[in-house]
Amino acid sequence: MSTFSQALINGIALGGMYLILVLGFSIIWGVMGVINLAHGEFVMVGAYLAWVANEWLGSDPFLVVLPVFFILAAFGFVLQRILVNRVIDRPHLVSLLVMFGVSIILQNAMKLIFSADFRRNDTVLDGAWSLSERVSIPVTKFMVLLVALAVLVALHQFLQRTRTGKSIRAAAQNREAARIVGIDINKVYAITFALCLGMTGVAGALISPILSVQPFQGPPLTLKAFAITAMSGLGSVKGALGGAMVLGIIEAMLALYVDKIGTNLAVVASFVILVAALVLRPQGLFGGLRPVDATAS
Amino acid sequence: MTTGNGQQRSGTAQVITRTSDRVRPLLEVQDIYAGYYVGQDVLKGVTIKVHEGEIVCVIGPNGAGKSTVFKAVYGIIPVRSGRVLCDGRDITNIPPQQALQTAGITIVPQLRSVFAQMTVHENLELGMFLSRDKDRIRERIEYVYDLFPRLKERSKQEAGTMSGGEQRMLEIGRSLMWEPRLVLMDEPSAGLAPIITKQIFEAIRRLNAEIGLTVLMIEQNARQGLEASDRGYVIEVGRQTYEGRAEELLADDNVRRAFLGG
Ligand SMILES: Nc1ncnc2c1ncn2[C@@H]1O[C@H](COP(=O)(O)OP(=O)(O)O)[C@@H](O)[C@H]1O
Ligand SMILES: [Mg+2]
Repeated sequence: MSTFSQALINGIALGGMYLILVLGFSIIWGVMGVINLAHGEFVMVGAYLAWVANEWLGSDPFLVVLPVFFILAAFGFVLQRILVNRVIDRPHLVSLLVMFGVSIILQNAMKLIFSADFRRNDTVLDGAWSLSERVSIPVTKFMVLLVALAVLVALHQFLQRTRTGKSIRAAAQNREAARIVGIDINKVYAITFALCLGMTGVAGALISPILSVQPFQGPPLTLKAFAITAMSGLGSVKGALGGAMVLGIIEAMLALYVDKIGTNLAVVASFVILVAALVLRPQGLFGGLRPVDATAS
Repeated sequence: MTTGNGQQRSGTAQVITRTSDRVRPLLEVQDIYAGYYVGQDVLKGVTIKVHEGEIVCVIGPNGAGKSTVFKAVYGIIPVRSGRVLCDGRDITNIPPQQALQTAGITIVPQLRSVFAQMTVHENLELGMFLSRDKDRIRERIEYVYDLFPRLKERSKQEAGTMSGGEQRMLEIGRSLMWEPRLVLMDEPSAGLAPIITKQIFEAIRRLNAEIGLTVLMIEQNARQGLEASDRGYVIEVGRQTYEGRAEELLADDNVRRAFLGG
């Protein structure tokens, strides 16, 4: 029983990490119809920023989330204006390939700057809290979960209550109608992209003490974001929570009950979930902004 | 300058024949050319006038370019030649935000345009997206609820879960939020059951009578559309081929044969 409890706790903690990881990816897809294949690379950039801040300034990754958010958000705003905007009206495949190109560029740029060495980032929020002799809470992941939940709540309130948030939801639900009530679609997309890249950078900073930081860490993270989004529904904020928890708990249980192949199997699990979700329930388990197979507009 | 609602302008000496010849139109589409691709004009010289307080109906076969006229007026596609005037002011190629803000034109498009996963209330709010005056928005929502009590009952319901007719009502209600001078309605009866169609046309007539709403609409349902209107235009392959008072068009042999089923 206690090993099961431990796996459940690990799974929920992992789910927190996946939650902050998936939000930006899911919302860009849901609102703009762009599948951000460079998502994992933006996570990686956020992770490097946090690592550099720790190396040079001795800042804890939990303390740099705001600066990392704004740096990535600014990057996102510019990238949307000069690049994504130009392909957004084209078929899905075009934006997919463009973002794939961006991912390759970022991987190699980071490799040139930082080399391919694996880096470890540290945080003072480390170690484990024992609940009993054999059950404990991993502190770092638990703190990531708390931050992720805070971001989730803030994001939900922003989308539901603010004028800008409502314009983002409107554009996601019906672009033509949004345009005719006077919403500036390009502005909505720029804000969405900036916001989402900011959150994705934060995910990177928070993950940096958990996963080693290296230029090629992105693709499996993109895949996981993909799987969770397919499960949870595009741009669904509440769904993201459900999807992230499901994947986290599945992975933790696999690690517990299946020996030795833990990590590889986790990626396979993502793939299985992704395929099953796409085939069986394209609108997601939790109902998103639109079905996964909706067209770009 | 326009005095609206069929009143005569004082100090005009000339003999007055009928409204449309005398007062400056609210909307004037002058010989426009427009299309979706460079060098392929869908509209090849369309001219339409709408006076304040009028209901004007555009009919014509599928693919003739009727919806394209609306898109050109509303700045969704560029006008390559010709002019669009509102109250005598040139509004050719203004973006949608300005069509709303400076010309007071709103549009109910042909395809379903509710925000399906938002409530009726939120949909109406978004009709005034360009205003930041919360009291005014609340006031206008109450106003629309008064016109369509059905929407008030459904206030908290997600728009996408309502019937087709109710969604149409919501779209029309949303287009009224901005207190528009002119509403462009693209096939308001499309896809609706005959009884609902009748209600929609009644609602349009009622709005016209009660609040003096000016409407330019497109209708597939040519007979009912014309019957609800003051004047009409027929558009075929990118040009208007007939125009006149609704009852004239309804009585015209050619129009009857081509568009009214004999
Ligand atoms: N978004 C579009 N892109 C390209 N061509 C279009 C588009 N919409 C309409 N068309 C073309 O323009 C012509 C007129 O269409 P439309 O104005 O929608 O006709 P209707 O009179 O039925 O409203 C048609 O030949 C149609 O194929
Ligand atoms: Mg049409």
